[in-house]
Amino acid sequence: MVLTPAFVAELARIVGPDGLVTTPEGRLTYEADMHTFYKAAPDVVVLPQTTAQAVELVRLCRRERVAMIPRGSGTGLIGGATAPYGGVMVATTRMNRILEIDLPNRCAVVQPGLINLWLTNAIRDQGYFFAPDPSSQMVSSIGGNASTNAGGPHCLKYGITVNHILGLELVTGMGELVRLGGKVQSRPGYDLTGVTVGSEGTFGLITAVTVRLLHTPEGVKTALAAFSSIDEASEAVSAIIAAGITPAALEMLDEIVTRAINQGVGAGYPENARAVLLIELDGPLAEIEVQARRVSDICQEHRALEIRIARDEAERTLLWKGRKEAAGVFGRVTRNWLLQDAVVPRSKLPAIMREMAAISARHGIRVANVFHAGDGNLHPLILYDERQPGERERAVGVNEELLAACIAMGGSVTGEHGVGLDKAKNLPKQYRPADLGFMARLRRVFDPDSLMNPGKLLPSHPACGEAFQASRPTQIPEGAWV
Amino acid sequence: MGLVGESGTARDRLAAIVGSLYVADAPPALAIDGVPPRFVVRPADAEQVSGLLALARDEGWAVIPRGSGTALGLGNPPARADLLIDLTRLHRVVEYEPADVTVSVEAGISLEELDRGLGKHAQFLPLDPPGWRARTIGGVLSANASGPLRTRYGTARDMLLGVRFVQADGTVTWGGARVVKSVTGYDVPKLMVGALGTLGIIVEATLRLHPQPEAEGSWLSWFDSVEAAQGFLLAVQASTIQPACVEILDAGALAVLDEAPAPCAVAVSIASVPAAVRAQGELLDRLAARENGVTTRAREGFWDAYDASTAGALAAGMVVRTECLPTSIASTLRALESIARAASLRSRVSGCGPSGSLRAFLEGDCPADSWRDRVVHALREQLAPQGGSAIVERCSPALKATLDVWGAADPESFALMRRIKQEFDPSGVLNPGRFVGRL
Repeated sequence: MVLTPAFVAELARIVGPDGLVTTPEGRLTYEADMHTFYKAAPDVVVLPQTTAQAVELVRLCRRERVAMIPRGSGTGLIGGATAPYGGVMVATTRMNRILEIDLPNRCAVVQPGLINLWLTNAIRDQGYFFAPDPSSQMVSSIGGNASTNAGGPHCLKYGITVNHILGLELVTGMGELVRLGGKVQSRPGYDLTGVTVGSEGTFGLITAVTVRLLHTPEGVKTALAAFSSIDEASEAVSAIIAAGITPAALEMLDEIVTRAINQGVGAGYPENARAVLLIELDGPLAEIEVQARRVSDICQEHRALEIRIARDEAERTLLWKGRKEAAGVFGRVTRNWLLQDAVVPRSKLPAIMREMAAISARHGIRVANVFHAGDGNLHPLILYDERQPGERERAVGVNEELLAACIAMGGSVTGEHGVGLDKAKNLPKQYRPADLGFMARLRRVFDPDSLMNPGKLLPSHPACGEAFQASRPTQIPEGAWV
Repeated sequence: MGLVGESGTARDRLAAIVGSLYVADAPPALAIDGVPPRFVVRPADAEQVSGLLALARDEGWAVIPRGSGTALGLGNPPARADLLIDLTRLHRVVEYEPADVTVSVEAGISLEELDRGLGKHAQFLPLDPPGWRARTIGGVLSANASGPLRTRYGTARDMLLGVRFVQADGTVTWGGARVVKSVTGYDVPKLMVGALGTLGIIVEATLRLHPQPEAEGSWLSWFDSVEAAQGFLLAVQASTIQPACVEILDAGALAVLDEAPAPCAVAVSIASVPAAVRAQGELLDRLAARENGVTTRAREGFWDAYDASTAGALAAGMVVRTECLPTSIASTLRALESIARAASLRSRVSGCGPSGSLRAFLEGDCPADSWRDRVVHALREQLAPQGGSAIVERCSPALKATLDVWGAADPESFALMRRIKQEFDPSGVLNPGRFVGRL
């Protein structure tokens, strides 16, 4: 797509000259998200500062039939914030203010570019927090979290992003400014807020987000349990969930991962264990005391080698630091990796982990695991070296067989990362044509001209996936978060 | 017209789909807001629902889906009504693996039947709208009905993971997933919750469940004023207490329950392990005392009595649900009181404090113009500045004729809603006229 000078001048008029990136070097920064396999720079990047500018931008692009790609911090893992068809990328970096904090009503209104953790930082002292905590929360934006319906370790107890979004201000693909939902929890009509969360920028540009805030729990207990096999750890996870305990978070890390983390950030995870569970309980003190004992008993019954309970905030932080920065240390264990985000029903966790081991052995490809076990949300990292002939193909084989196994068990293609460019081709594995047809028609209601983030989320576009995969190796950079 | 063609009469065509046993002329008692449907049919499965909708589309019929019938009074009067589809024969549990803490059920299962099955595994679905036991899951989802437990567990949108529905043209469609966490494609279940069956008929739902708490304790705190009660509500929210239910009751609501008289009271339920229930109960008592409130343990069966009083009132008289901010609970209660007095109506009010959702049950004679202007519009004016709303959940067809029971949606988002309805039900097969803006 070649943009005319007149069009670019018009963009500059809207966002100001310093809100525009047109140089090739500048645009290169925006050619990929954290899934660097997909590289496609936009023709121009605009950085609006106000809702009014966003409205003008959409109206201009619609008039000129130019594609728009919304982008937050660019920490996505699905190639969602890339421009396979060129066009105008709208980065929300300069829309990063907190507009209102209303603690008595437990909500806040923020601009989409606000960094997730900054919101909690602003209210922590008053005893509140914003629950969605993707591992990228120190850099990812709330608008991006809402667009992908991001998860995180603590969504086991607190739910994913959509459960914490009360309202959105959206500029639809038709250039309408709509206010969906708001501080009052219920209102008549279709739940457009709910269906827009997770729409990955295909409905329009989010220009403000009303979020729910929660009161900090009375207590928190973080424990680490080490096991001599993934199987025992998986059985322990299923047993904890089946026992009616809902931990705030329940994460599993296998041996490959704990070793890399120990070397990378010195988290001090047990060296002799094949699998480690990170278990966090929060709530009223009396409640977590009882639950901690039960969790400990269940782990013992599943022959835990060691159970360690963080004695203070410093120990707790260290346990979490390893987990949150896990993906960043993978450069130590592999040259290339494929990452999956499939989900299985919780009772199937032991079965899928055994299946994974079998698939891995059959292809001679190592798979590392660091994931949200309590939700059944897997994050297998399929490790390979692109320089070894045939390895990449075998890794792709592992990826596909594993996904098929998850879906056959009643699972889902993606639990929290989203679809983007990367997984659109997999939707027909989970949905029938009628189901996908419904989604395609819904998309057209918001964006009849298919200008908003084209090529993402639904498999109808030729640019999805395969076309890119033929030529480029997959790599997720150091410093990515899963 | 009037001739029996090769496909027979309308009744024959319906019988060909569901069997003649399951087609009947709709009795007058099944009229919806005074609009009587022609036939009532009782399909056995999704495929039959699909056949019925395809037929309805071809015939230009209007279809009204029905579960237990509890919420059929919700909505504007139907523009047309030909076919009432009773979904109560779809009542199977499709899949229940307790270790997944999810369940898939057909839409017509009653919450009581579902609860019985889940209870055996110490699990439950925390949806307790008024009269919940008799209600069907499909109806509760479509009406987005909720009850006291929403304080802790949220509403239907937080529990519905996957949904199978039949579109207006008969296409059977699935949205969402069977697992607790999925972002694969659009979150279609969100669109079906609260849509009142106007975009499709829900035939199956996959739901997130919760473990039954080990212990539960309930308290009632009495206050001298609604302002003090609100102060207590906000203090509970700003504390580490994690209540399951926090319901506010005015003097009238207390009287119906035979509770000690007071201008206002707050009922709180805490569910946890016994020690935590005790500790939080003590904290409740202290917080109430700061607002000069008096706290006692609620009597055995309080929540069942509360549910029965709400459900009973929803089946008669006039009911308005108001949605406001928690910090406006007191002013909304005051407004409801004075509006009822101005219209010479008796009123009682109760509802969920933390979500700002109150129900006013009104009794007395009310001329239509007074109902519209002095009651409903006056309330809407009061609530509009904070983004609140007043929904008429029940009143006579004569009173309904004077207003839109939902109130006006703002024009921009309504334009989107209308386009969605247009896209998925262009000929107005599904519940025509009943939803927001008479969609």
